[in-house]
This record gives sequence, structure tokens and C-alpha cells, in this order.
Amino acid sequence: MEGAADSGRSAADRAAALARLLHRDCTRLLQLYVVHGALTKERESFLSQHAPGSERLVTLALCPEALSTAEQVSHVRSALRRCMELLECLISREVEEMGEELEGEYERLRKTVKDRLGHLVHSTGALLENGEGGCPPSPPLQCIKGQDEVDSFAAKLWTYKVLLELIHWTDSASQTLHLFHTEKHGQQQQQQLL
Amino acid sequence: MPCQYRRKDTKTSRCEFCSPDLVYSAFPVSGSSLVSMQGWVTLALLLSLGVKRSLGQNGVGELPVPRGLTLNPDLPAQTLSLTWQSDSSLFDLEIFHTELMNVVLNETVAVKADAVTGLHSWTWHSPLPLECTSHSVRIRARNQQSVGQWSPLQTIPGSDIPEKSESYMFPQDKVVPVGSNMTFCCIVKEKEDFKDMIYRRQEMSATRLSRRTYAITVTNQPASGNTGTNVICSSQRSTLTGAVVFVGYPPGDEGLVCETRDLASAECSWKKGRDTHLRTKRSRTKYTLNGRDCLEANERKTWWCSSKVWEESWSLLARNPLETVQLTDSAQLTDRVHLLAPVNVTAVEVKAWSATLRWSWSVAAYKKLEMVCQLQLFAHELSSTRNYSSPGLSSVELEGLWPDLDYTVTLRCGSKHSFWKWGDESAPYRIHTKMDRPDALDVWIWMDSSNTRRVFWKPLSLRKSHGALIGYEVSQNSAEEDGWTRVFLPPGNFSYPIILNNSSDITVAVAARNPAGLSQPSTVTTPAYRADSQLSVSELLAINGSFHLSWQPNANASSGYAVEWVPTGCSGLCPVDWKKVPESDSSFSVNSDSLVAGVRYTVSVYSLSTGAPTLLQRWQGYSQEMVPSQSVSDLSANQTGSDVLLSWKDTAMEHQRGFIRGYTVYLANAAHLDLIANISDPEVQSYRVKGLSLSLFKFVVKAYTSAGEDAGSTVAIKVEMDTAIMLFIGILVPLGIMFCCLILVSICCYKKREWVKKAFYPEIPGPKVSGDWSSPRGPLDVKPSPHSVVHIVESPGWDFTKEGLFPVPEEEEESENDNIEVDTDSDEPALLRYYNQVVGDGSHSNHVSDSSGSSTASVGSTQTEITYAGIQSPTSSQGACGGGGYRPQMQSVAAPAEPQIEFGDDFQDDALNTGYKPQCSWQMDSPEAENFSGSLGSPTSVTSSQFLIPESSEEKPQPSNTWFHNFLSGKS
Repeated sequence: MEGAADSGRSAADRAAALARLLHRDCTRLLQLYVVHGALTKERESFLSQHAPGSERLVTLALCPEALSTAEQVSHVRSALRRCMELLECLISREVEEMGEELEGEYERLRKTVKDRLGHLVHSTGALLENGEGGCPPSPPLQCIKGQDEVDSFAAKLWTYKVLLELIHWTDSASQTLHLFHTEKHGQQQQQQLL
Repeated sequence: MPCQYRRKDTKTSRCEFCSPDLVYSAFPVSGSSLVSMQGWVTLALLLSLGVKRSLGQNGVGELPVPRGLTLNPDLPAQTLSLTWQSDSSLFDLEIFHTELMNVVLNETVAVKADAVTGLHSWTWHSPLPLECTSHSVRIRARNQQSVGQWSPLQTIPGSDIPEKSESYMFPQDKVVPVGSNMTFCCIVKEKEDFKDMIYRRQEMSATRLSRRTYAITVTNQPASGNTGTNVICSSQRSTLTGAVVFVGYPPGDEGLVCETRDLASAECSWKKGRDTHLRTKRSRTKYTLNGRDCLEANERKTWWCSSKVWEESWSLLARNPLETVQLTDSAQLTDRVHLLAPVNVTAVEVKAWSATLRWSWSVAAYKKLEMVCQLQLFAHELSSTRNYSSPGLSSVELEGLWPDLDYTVTLRCGSKHSFWKWGDESAPYRIHTKMDRPDALDVWIWMDSSNTRRVFWKPLSLRKSHGALIGYEVSQNSAEEDGWTRVFLPPGNFSYPIILNNSSDITVAVAARNPAGLSQPSTVTTPAYRADSQLSVSELLAINGSFHLSWQPNANASSGYAVEWVPTGCSGLCPVDWKKVPESDSSFSVNSDSLVAGVRYTVSVYSLSTGAPTLLQRWQGYSQEMVPSQSVSDLSANQTGSDVLLSWKDTAMEHQRGFIRGYTVYLANAAHLDLIANISDPEVQSYRVKGLSLSLFKFVVKAYTSAGEDAGSTVAIKVEMDTAIMLFIGILVPLGIMFCCLILVSICCYKKREWVKKAFYPEIPGPKVSGDWSSPRGPLDVKPSPHSVVHIVESPGWDFTKEGLFPVPEEEEESENDNIEVDTDSDEPALLRYYNQVVGDGSHSNHVSDSSGSSTASVGSTQTEITYAGIQSPTSSQGACGGGGYRPQMQSVAAPAEPQIEFGDDFQDDALNTGYKPQCSWQMDSPEAENFSGSLGSPTSVTSSQFLIPESSEEKPQPSNTWFHNFLSGKS
């Protein structure tokens, strides 16, 4: 039991560390898109002055106000899954629009974020394997591909919002997982004292 | 009256109004309404005559109002199509921005009714997107004389109507060519203010079109980036909306070429050409080949396209939103065969000198194709290209390979008939040929003057070794011995010493061995003994670093000649090089590659026959002469009188680096060298520099070759006076000076002889004696005083004190000196010595008289000749003689008071009584005064008894009656 507890504690710790790393990656990804993006010669610098609307792309179903830490982890995990869907949609749209021959820093980091986000969703799911449930999962997003339906300017704004969502939810995941790890660690110590 | 309306092109559309008489250039339908107005002014003037006539006929207001005006906007194309019904064919049109009723078009157009529908139609291209704001149109008929009533306004709503309260920008995602002009409009959200519009991060000047609509016009747009050019509309608070425009170029593709790889299908490729700058899905170039989408190019963004069947003509359409470009190509299939690479290339049989190569084809149709294949062999320093031809070629025999070599083989093939291009190259394949016996060695024997010979052989190249060598076998035999003596040497040895005997020639055979076997032995014969060559060695001049040799053909050279060159003076393991020349040749060039500059070579030509080589000719030379690396040695300078003889020796040969052509002699000054001699004969190795002054000289001697002088050796010499002169100056001159001084002194003394005489030989008056003292004269018998005897002891440490006087017993004294009597009453210092001596006749009388007063002790005794030597000790007191008058010099010695007083009293009494006092001087006549006789003639101080010019005590005493004595005495 102790070994399992240790592994659980370390898994939460590792997940929190991964969330922190992912948060930094997402922040860097947004910088590349807005300012330093290799995707465009003419950078989307206007986005740096753009104030996004208050509405979020990733919204969760109603949850009880008083959530336990485990429920908060489940809550965040659900949001990360939506973020993952958004990122996959974003990648597929950009690849469809621009092709795959572009291979700059933005494209490489975009792939890295996708891989790490998948790992984070998986690792947070492993933390909740014991039935520590949370909110009901949000409905999956509909990825609208192709530029025929959406004009280019709106697509750029949407990409910007997706990247902001990634930053927001990875930050939230980092904090929640850290709290989760701290609580688990405290419980372990109390059990050892008893 | 027929009338035609047609579009001339897609970019600028014009209407042409046609009449039987005139064809007028009608209005431009683009945005340039001002230009069109000028045309219509002309048209109006031309039509005015007809109008006036029509008015005269029909009257004003009779023209009907056009009916059924309908507006059909094409928003992406920014065109507005108008249709109406009317009997007239000339109309006035007015188009407004509805909200502010700004007129954007006011033109008169001639439009004929469609023959089928009876409708008039006209299209207007708006410079502004039609969504930007509402547009209203009205129309009226016109003829030559009158105009009709305006039709009711027909309006197409824009996106700035209250029902659409959001922000919008138009146009969206438009693709335009580089350099075009565009107008963008921003419809501000209800209750939002407008701040600015930014194009490519640059704020533009906006024009207000309606309550919520603002527009900017950009001109000469540059090419966009990958994701288009952003146009942003902002309020004071945030970004309201925006648009992206893609600015680029039409397709620049060119050079379509189609070929077949499998003799059935086609692959067409082309060059991309200029970058369109249009990369998004909707703007990038799309390709179709003979009407079929080119998926390879459209999806993978490559520049080739395939077709399953060969068609003799090909058409590629490259299309982007700006333009469509058509590329064409046509050819027969057999003319465009581009074979694939051979596969499974293998060497089935590899030998030392050949190999068999096989391969297969991935396309079965190749087996019947008449093809040519090119095989490329790469090896170390060996590369070759070979062509083979055959239908469906799949194997070749590779001849002419070299043993034990790594070959890399590549293969490519093409259609032999109507050759188009080489096919793809096969992957490199490696072949290693087997070994074979080495080739025979090139052997030479170096014969110097010693008894030892050394056989040399040249290392075998890869081409000749045919495998890694194991070693060499050196065999030798002589006529005296049976059989061969063999020695096996490991690889890396390229020479072997041969010991000669004096009786027979020695034949040496050398062979190389590798794992495949032993090479054919190469033999060379050396004579039994070889004396030093009596051939003269001539100088050999190189031309461009090479030696060009020629010699008289020799009838005995049945096997040709051997040219050998080796550094001169080398012994032992020398870098001997040689070349064998056929007998038909009698000249050879030693290339500069095998020669080292600055090294003297001895080049020899031998005739080769069945026996030992015979020396024919010998030279020495440099491939390139250089300045000597070392200066002359043993440079010395020797003075001979005022000349200096410089001599030196040559430096060693290895340092000469060229033939010494002579020497230059320089006189080194402070900052430069002055050439004083150029000796062009190298055998002369000395030089005499004449007429040098007494100074320090530095000479520099340099040897020179044809390349120049060496650094030079330096010698310094101080030229001094000659020895004879030195002797003359050092000895004779002082002697001369001394002689002159003596003469001067003599003259001076002669002229002052009276004074000298007075000073040194004053006249001594004769004693006045009462009675007859004149007879008889004879020796005085002076007997010593019976009281005591003073014995004079000479001692080196003699102190001039009374302690030096030793009392001697009377008996003893008497026994030894019977004839000596010492004044025992006198307490004289020891310096005063008494010698009871019998003197000669000359001065005897004087001494007798003188002694009478000199000692009171002697007065009362017998007559004694007393001589005052006048020699004082350093402690003698001059005051002893200074008591007034003329007194003898005496030393004041602390003595017993009584005798001193006694002596003094007596002395003073005598002086007072007689008025004469003996001189305190030396007695030249005293024969006992040997120590002082040497100072005869020397001037003596009046106050001192020291001789002013002392002479050597070793000189023998001069007789008292010398010329000098006479001189001083005034005698002639």
C-alpha cells in the first residue's frame, strides 16, 4: 500500500510538472504565432493588441460549487480533453490550409504541445482511476475544416483563442495537480504517523 | 440598327456602342468614372444635333419612363447588373450611395434591347464592395432632343443597415495581383466608434461612406506573406473586425517535359518558375494534365504529374485565382525513354584481371529494349567508363581490371535508339579483384669508389605489385662461387649492400614476393673492383630545374643506358635515383620533381650490356642554385705593415647550395658595407687590403653563387704601428732625450763651473803650522787608543743608534786590527765611521790637515787621516752642522751626556780657535767608501747629504781621477 501510495504521489507530482512544462510550451507557442511565427513572413502582430472576448471556447457543464481536489482534477482533465480536440482541429486546419511543407519552430512546438497534452490527459486520467469522479464530460467540439466556411481573418482570431485556451487550462491544470499532489502527500504523512 | 455589347477581357470591360456610321468607344465600367465622363461629353456633343432635331419633331416629355428596373448584384465580383424595359436605346444612369446620396455614377449609355426578351441590361463594376453600403439606381430614357422622367430608385441594401448590427469588413480573402489597387470598407458595430483602419501594420486614411461605413483605398499592393495581408479595423476599445487579402503573382510554371519510365505510362515534369506568394489552399496554383487533376502537384506540391497512358501531346494547365497558364509538350514514347536503375547488381565471377557483372530490371518491358549501358569503375587512382550495348542488357564482362584492387561499380542505361537521357544510376557495387604475381622490379646497383656496392630497387606501385608484398628476395653469385646466395628482406627495404671481391664480377638478382607468388627476378652485375673514375666531371646547368643530358651513343650499350643521379658526396644510404633508357636514345631529362633545389647532384650515364655497367659520362650540377646557407669559414686577418691579409676557407659542400663563383670583400662601416674587392676566382681564398691607417677595421667576406651572396663572415682587426717603429719610439727617443739633457746639464755646469766648484770643491786653505812640518813625509803610524775599540758592525737592520756600537774587548781588537785606532774618547754617532786608512799622495796632505781639526781625540794621538763620509741616516740632524759657520754635518744622537758635551765643547773650541770647520761632505778620495763611490759626481744638497741623482750601486766605482773629477775640479 505504501508503495502504491508513493507511486500515486509521484504520479501526481509528475503530472503537475508536466502541466507546468506544457503551460510554458503553450505560452511560447502563442508568442511564435503572434510575433515570431515562422508560419508567416508577415506576423499576426495585430493579435498582440487584440483583446479577446470574455467568452471561453472551452466551457464545462455545471458542477457543484464545492468541488473536492480530485473533482477539480477531473474538471481540469475534461477541459484538457476539449483543448486537445481544439488543438487537433487547429492543426488539421492549418495543415489543410498551408500544407505540410512548412516545418518551422512554430510547427515543431505545435506538435510537441499536442504530444505533451495527450500525455497530460492520460496521466490525469490515471490519477482518477479510483473512481474519483468529477463533472460530466463536456460535449465534443465540432471542428469546422476548410476556409470556405470561415474567412481567413476569423480563422486567425479563432487560432488565437485556441492558444489562449491552452494557456489558461494548462495553467489551471498545473495549479490543481499541484494542490492534488500536496493533499495526497499530506494524507500519506498522516497515515504514516497513525 | 444593330448594336453589340461585348466584354473585351476579364480585367477591364468596356461597352462598345455601334452604329452604321460610327463606333464610339463607350463608357468604361470600371471605377474610373472621370475618364468615362470625358468620353460621354464628346458623345453628348455629337448627339446634341439629333436631340435638337428630335425635340423639334416629338416635343419634350414624350419619352417613356423605363420600366421594371431590376438590380442583380454579384458581390464577389463587385458588379451590379441592371435590367429594364424601354423603347428607347439611350439612357441616363445614376447610382448613389443611398444613405448619404453621394452620386457614384452619372452616365449616359446606349443600350439596345435584347431581341428575345426585349430587356435592356447593363452591368456596372463597383470599385467598392457592394456590401459596404446600400446602393440606389435610377434611370431615364434619352434621345437626341429630349430626356424622359427618372425611374423610381431601386436600392440594394448594404451590410450597414440597422438590421445588421455587427462589425464587418469587405472584401474578405480576395486574391489580387501584385501592384493592384483595392478599396476596403469597415462597417462599425452599432454603438461603436471608429478609430482607424490598418493595412500591413500601417494606418490608412479612411473615408466615411455612411453612418457606420468607412473605407480605405490601397494602391500598388506588395506581395503577401504566407497567410495573406491583414487589414484591421479598430475602435477606440478593441479590434472590431478585419480581413485578409492575398496579393501574389500568376503562375510562373514553364518547361513541361513528359517521358516514360516503364515504356507505357507518362511522367510529366516542369519548372515551378516564379513564386506566386499564394500558398493558402484557396490561392495556390492548381494543375491539370490533359484535363485531369494532377494530384501529385496539387497535394504534394511537387512539380510533376503522371499519366497511366502515353499520349503524344500533353497540356498542363497551371491555374491560380489570378491567371491560368498552359504548358504543352508532344513526343513519341520511344523518344522519351528514361530507364529506371538496374537492380540486384552482382559480380558473379571475379578474377585477378577480369570480372563478370550481372543485374536485373524491375520492368519486364526493358528486356526487349535496345539499350546502351554505361558502367563506371572507380578505384584508387584508377577510374574508367565503359559502354556496353545489347537488347535488355543484364550482364557484362569487365576486362582489363588490375589485381588486388577495390573497384566500385555504378551502372546506368538508356535507350539506344532515339537516346533521350541516361536512366537512374544503380547503387554502387564493390568488387575486389584477386591477386597475381608482382611485376619485375626495376633494379640498379650504385657503384661508388668504395669496395661496397648497394643494390637498389624501386618500390612497386599498386598496379605492379598485384597484391600486398610480403618481401623481397635478393640473390647474388660470383664466378668464383657456385650457386646463389639468397637473402629475404621484408617489405619496406629498397636496397641491399653487396660486398665485393677483387677477383670476379657479382651478379645480383632481386625479386618481389606477394601471396600470389614471386616476380620475375631482375638482375644487375657489378664489377669486381672499380677504381675511382678517371673521367672528368663537368658542370651541368639545369634548365627550369631539370637536367637535360645527352651523350655519345656507345656501341657496347646493347641493353641501353642507365642514367643515375645522386647527391654529390653522399655516402651510405643515399637517395639514389636512376632511369633506364633504351639503347636507341642518347639523351634524357632528369625532371625537377626528383631533384631538390640547392643540392649538388652527380649525374652519371652508364652503358648497359650483359656484363657490368660501364660509366660513360659524369656531370655535377644543381637543379636550382641557391645562395650558400653558411658563410665562409676560418676567416682571419693578419697585419703586415699597413696591410691586412684576409684569408678564409670554403664552407662545406652541403652548405654551398650552388657553385661558388667567387667572393666579395667588404669593409664594414657603421651602416653599410663598402665593396673593396670582388674575387671572381673561387680558388683564390685570400685578399690583401693595403694602405690601412691605424684604426679598427671590420671586413666581411661573402661567397656567392649564381643565386647571390651568403650572409657573410666578419673579421675585425686593429691596425697598429710596426714593431721597428715601436722600438724606435720606445727606446731611442728616450735615450736621445736623456742625452740632450745630459748635454744641457754639462753645458750648464761648465758655464757655472765656478759656482759648482765653490759649492762642491771649495778651496781648502792649507794648515798653518808653526815649525817645520814639511819633512819627512811618510806614512803615519796611527795606533789605536788604548782605552777602547769601536768595532763597526755592518748589519742590514742596522739602527743608527748607539746600540749599534758594540764594545769589543781590547785584546781581541788589537789582535784583529792592529793598525786601526778608534777614538774612544769621542762619543760620535755610529754614522761617522772612522777608517784608519793610508791614502795616496794626491790628497794626503789635505786629509792630514783636515783630520787635525776633526777630532780632538785624534789630535792628541797620532796623526790620523779622518774622512767624513757625509752620509747621514734619515734621522741625522741637520742642525748639527748649522751651528754657525761652516760645520760638518753630524747626527744628533741621544748619547751619554758627558762625552757629547765633551765632544761638542772640543768641537766648538776648535771652530772658534781656528775659524775653519771641516765640510760635512763626503770624501771622494776615500777608497773605503765603496758604497758611495757610485754617487760620485752627483750633485748633493747643501742641507742634505742625499745624492740628487743617485746611480746604481752595482756600477763599479770610478777612479777618483776620471774626466768628470777633473771637470769638476776645473782641470782640463
